[in-house]
Amino acid sequence: MTEAEQLHSIRRVHDLAYGRAGDKGNIANVSVIARNLADYLELRAKVTAERVKAHLGPLVRGCVVRYELEHIGALNFVLYDALDGGATRSLRLDTLGKSLAGAVLYMPLDPDPDSE
Amino acid sequence: MPYRIGSAEGFYGDDVTRALPMIEGGHVDVVCFEALSELTLAILRRDQMRDPTRGYTRDVEIIAERILPVAYARGVTLITNGGGLNPISAAAVVRAAAERQGLRGLRIATVGGDDLLPRLPDLLAAGEELLNLETGEPLALGDLPIVTANAYLGAVPIVEALRQGAHVVITGRVADPSLYLAPLIARYGWAMDDWDRLASGTICGHLLECTGQVVGGNSLASVERLPASDLANLGYPIGEVEEDGCFVITKTPGTSGHITQATIKEQLLYEMHDPAAYITPDVVADITELRLADDGPDRVRVTGVRGHPRSDSLKVNIGRLEGYLRELIFTLGWPRAWEKEAQLREMLAVAWEGLPLTRVEYTHPGIDSLFGPLAPPPADPIELIVRVMFTAHDSQTLKTAVRRAMALGLSGPAGMSVSATTVGAEPRPLLGLWPALVSRAAVEPGVSVSPQEIGGTS
Repeated sequence: MTEAEQLHSIRRVHDLAYGRAGDKGNIANVSVIARNLADYLELRAKVTAERVKAHLGPLVRGCVVRYELEHIGALNFVLYDALDGGATRSLRLDTLGKSLAGAVLYMPLDPDPDSE
Repeated sequence: MPYRIGSAEGFYGDDVTRALPMIEGGHVDVVCFEALSELTLAILRRDQMRDPTRGYTRDVEIIAERILPVAYARGVTLITNGGGLNPISAAAVVRAAAERQGLRGLRIATVGGDDLLPRLPDLLAAGEELLNLETGEPLALGDLPIVTANAYLGAVPIVEALRQGAHVVITGRVADPSLYLAPLIARYGWAMDDWDRLASGTICGHLLECTGQVVGGNSLASVERLPASDLANLGYPIGEVEEDGCFVITKTPGTSGHITQATIKEQLLYEMHDPAAYITPDVVADITELRLADDGPDRVRVTGVRGHPRSDSLKVNIGRLEGYLRELIFTLGWPRAWEKEAQLREMLAVAWEGLPLTRVEYTHPGIDSLFGPLAPPPADPIELIVRVMFTAHDSQTLKTAVRRAMALGLSGPAGMSVSATTVGAEPRPLLGLWPALVSRAAVEPGVSVSPQEIGGTS
């Protein structure tokens, strides 16, 4: 496999979920919504707050808190100190962090046994 | 027959005329217009400093000219927080339009008392610390110029205005979902400690308040299902609420877009933190037992919202002028783009030596400007765009920085150019928001409801 094919073959959170990011001050949230219960249970087992925090790296300077909503098949991640000071003072191109949902959905579904 | 609330504005600049098909089709009893983001009030302050009769959202003018006559003729009430910093002047605009259109008997009410800017010294002296909710610091006056300080009011003053017979209610900083909850309280007579009903109306408002976002806009779940032509002309949402608080979210019949359980879930969690504690001035809503059910095409039924007693404090957002910012976008092409990028950064570092810049940040749109180092950068990019953002306490420093950067034009890396629109731009004020809590008892006595009537007296 070429490097590009390898990159493409990785299962990502997006394969099982959709989601949306929201902003309040310097806090962002990202919903990760499964299409069925089995997918929700897999996401709940694998997409932990710790992994999301590590995955997002310098985008999120504070902690990540996860809320579980099994009744609607969704996880809600609250990302503290995640918007470079908040929309009004952020120097980022995406000041509202609208694209942050994509960043979480890009995460590999399965933990990398070497690095995690 | 449920009470039907339309939503036709989710931000200052939204297309408020999408209220027209709701009203003309007889699909709604009230339409709400939510115009205030965290940043909007600061923008309105700039308008007001240039002209004291401004400070409200200009969308109010469109509402008054195009929507009000149709709504008044059909008995549909209009509620907006687009009065911003100056609901009184916004009401004068509505009044003038109504008089021109001969809308005799129309009653307009304004809600004020959210603007705490003139009261900050008294509030601090009375022991309100206004601790920053994100950092825990106490607010100090005289530190940085404060441009806005608005408390988030709840539904109560709007309910009072509606009970006085207002056809149009114009407010300042009322919390987004409270705009939608208020007509429900007025219609059904819900008690202000009927927490489950208040919470259900609040979540209904939360689902409606971002207009297009619940009918397929900003929706990853809708990507394959909605053609682009639909997105450009979405029909805006409507909540049909029963006396017990349960409700259906639907959209204006005969318009584009769709409502599905997926679009409801996306909007339900939008800007939500703890799902057991969605805090508004009216109630603490809890969606941990919420249930969704299909109720026909483009209709989703929502039940099981629980509520807990409201908090003794209100949120206040204080806007402080922290400085100014400036952007320059340089373009570098192949070959050896990364080496040339390093040259550019070093040249700017030398040119800007000694300038009191407070931040300088480099990103590369298309490579790391959204997601940082999430994916590895290309080794030999065909195009490389370098975005430099820099800030200072004063705007003159930024002008000097730009002039010095431009002076390097013919001495820079091979093939480098700079985006002309970024060179020509003015420094932008850098506004810092200071979210805090203030005790309800310090704010609510100052909240006022002022009615007036066209062709009558009040």
